[in-house]
Amino acid sequence: MNLPEKKRTLISLVIFGISILVWILLLFNPGHIMTVQHCHISDSGPSAASLRMLLQMNPFSSLMTGWGLMVVAMMLPKLIIPIQQIYASSFKRQRFLSTILFVSGYIGVWMLVGAFMVAIILGIHLYMPGSYIPAIVLGVIAIIWQFSPVKQQCLNRGHDHWTLAAFGWPACRDAILFGIMHGVWCVGAGWALMLLPMLLPVGHNLAMILVTFIMLSEHLEHPQVPRWHVDFRLRLFRYLIAQTKIKFRQAL
Amino acid sequence: MPVLTRKNAWNNNGTFSNPDLLWYAKAVGVMQTRPLNDPTSWWFYAAIHGQSISDNPGWGTIPPPPNVPTTPLPSSSLISQYWDQCQHGGWFFPPWHRGYLYAIENILRGIVAQLGGPSDWALPYWNYFGPGNQYQMPPAFAQKTLPDGSANPLFVNARYGPNNDGNIFVPFSWGINQNCQSNTVYTGRQPAFYGGNTTGFAHFASGTGSLEGNPHNPVHVAVGGQDPTTGQGGLMGDPDTAGLDPIFYLHHCNIDRMWASWNAAGNSNPTDPNWLNGPNASGNRQFYMPTPAGTPWLFTPAMVNDISQLNYTYDNLTLGITPTLVSQNALRLRNFGLSVDDSKLLNAKMDENNDSELVGANSAPLKVDAKGAQTNVQLDSSGWNNVAKSLKTTTMAQRLSENKLPDQVYLQLEGIKGKEDSVVCSVTVNNQYAGHLSLFGLKNASQKDGPHGGSGLTIRFDISSIVDKLELSNALDINSLEVHIQPVNVIADGNELTIDRVSIYREEQG
Repeated sequence: MNLPEKKRTLISLVIFGISILVWILLLFNPGHIMTVQHCHISDSGPSAASLRMLLQMNPFSSLMTGWGLMVVAMMLPKLIIPIQQIYASSFKRQRFLSTILFVSGYIGVWMLVGAFMVAIILGIHLYMPGSYIPAIVLGVIAIIWQFSPVKQQCLNRGHDHWTLAAFGWPACRDAILFGIMHGVWCVGAGWALMLLPMLLPVGHNLAMILVTFIMLSEHLEHPQVPRWHVDFRLRLFRYLIAQTKIKFRQAL
Repeated sequence: MPVLTRKNAWNNNGTFSNPDLLWYAKAVGVMQTRPLNDPTSWWFYAAIHGQSISDNPGWGTIPPPPNVPTTPLPSSSLISQYWDQCQHGGWFFPPWHRGYLYAIENILRGIVAQLGGPSDWALPYWNYFGPGNQYQMPPAFAQKTLPDGSANPLFVNARYGPNNDGNIFVPFSWGINQNCQSNTVYTGRQPAFYGGNTTGFAHFASGTGSLEGNPHNPVHVAVGGQDPTTGQGGLMGDPDTAGLDPIFYLHHCNIDRMWASWNAAGNSNPTDPNWLNGPNASGNRQFYMPTPAGTPWLFTPAMVNDISQLNYTYDNLTLGITPTLVSQNALRLRNFGLSVDDSKLLNAKMDENNDSELVGANSAPLKVDAKGAQTNVQLDSSGWNNVAKSLKTTTMAQRLSENKLPDQVYLQLEGIKGKEDSVVCSVTVNNQYAGHLSLFGLKNASQKDGPHGGSGLTIRFDISSIVDKLELSNALDINSLEVHIQPVNVIADGNELTIDRVSIYREEQG
């Protein structure tokens, strides 16, 4: 990669910085944008009235804002290497624009998917408010998906290395297409994990942190031949353990 | 135990009169009698480097000798622990191969001793840069039989050589040299940095160091050559078959000797714990080799940092290049009429972290077939002006006083993909020779579900001297550069290369 380490580090710090800021926002959950509120009236059963009330308490726009913030907080660190690559292989004047277009394409895909996800979440809260059953069912699906060849295929394609056009409109087009395709494969790999915290009646934040760790860790693994395979993809965990040991030895 | 000495394979004219080669052949023969699933077998060790057992073409289609088995497979846990470990395209290339050689040498030495040979037997090296005809493969490898009339385990059918005619030698006309020995810094990419760049979390291996880039890679491809009828590469030309050819270990022994010589000349290896602790430091799989007892030996670069740690040396630890009285930078400045003392250039630090900038690129992916390919690299006026500014003789003295040297300019072939590692091309820029393109590792790097995610290979050439000539002939005010890529061997139908982008980068110095 034709990018000095100091610039690579700077890109990483900026991205982690944005992610952490959004995490703080999410964890404080202002206006309850990250959780769906419901009242006991809706517990009496689904109806047009209860849907109206649910939407009054949880406007769709607020839910989408929450979803968008969740995507930024959880997913932005996954974009560090592609953004470094875009910086390294673009003209200086094009670097920032291409990065913005790439990130926009990526987040755009997640927002599109988010509209469906939020609708599902609302439906579940309407029909089964406060129930653990949807989360348990999705958890089982997520585990099956986790070890499936399709998931591995999506993770592999998430490592697709795009060589962008350098000049003019084609450079912009390639950046946004790269973002969109990166988003598509990322959704394919992580849709179940992303939805899971939203379905939990309690422990939403903790689940979000856990899911972020899993998704980052699996993204760091090298591509593998797709097959049914029980693989917990713990590279981030191994990395943290190894780095802790190194730092500990240095300190002694 | 006394220190073991690895000696030149060309001793006694590289024939079986050289006892190192005779015992090597006998011990290889014993390893080849062991089954594939035996961690101390020849086949298992080759698979540690890389394997294509289930591919077609793969191990099952290799023309004998050797008769390469594809069964019985070891357990999946042994496979995941040991196989397909080789480290290319990054800073672990030298230490991993050192541990690999050390481990197989231990097994071979044990067998040599059991056969009644010397207990201090050590791997010989093939120094193709040696005097006389040492650029040729030691003749013992081309004999079909041993002196006792039995089959020679060193003889390999699929070893075709650079002209695809079975004559095995290292073709210096391909630009193969040991200029890497003049590098002074380990961490970074070819051609200025020796050992390769950090790998970290990036899955694409584009951090090849100069030792690996040249001579390691082109020697592999030259020795392997191609089947002249199909264009399929020989064993040495592909990381997944290279370890099956006994010449592999003599080639790598020479690469290891060059690294040891480079250290002996006062150059240092990384002290970064992320290198010393190996890929485990970034959460990747660790380096394991089977011992003669078949048990795993776990090693890190810190354990093979110096050959004295492993109790061996070489009979020749000279650097291999003639010491130059002036640096490359001083020579370059002389072309611009500036005679500068090297000591004044010391502050202009050689650093992989110098700023790099794209200054030109072609507009569409390039396909390279048997006829070759040509593309125009359009230059971006803003970036190219920066190059021109750094080369202006009127301001060069002023820039030097600020410890700034003229920019280095690189031609970069990005995302080279294909199926056949043995293809070699020459590359010219504006009809001036830039270098030879050697594609060892191409197939693996092109596989979408492989460790590199299908990113292909990215190879760069230093074209500063070509750009200097343009400036000196007042011809730098141009909008594009013409790049020709011409194959020097066979590109069969279906084995065409694609190159995602051909680009020009400038790199500030100082």
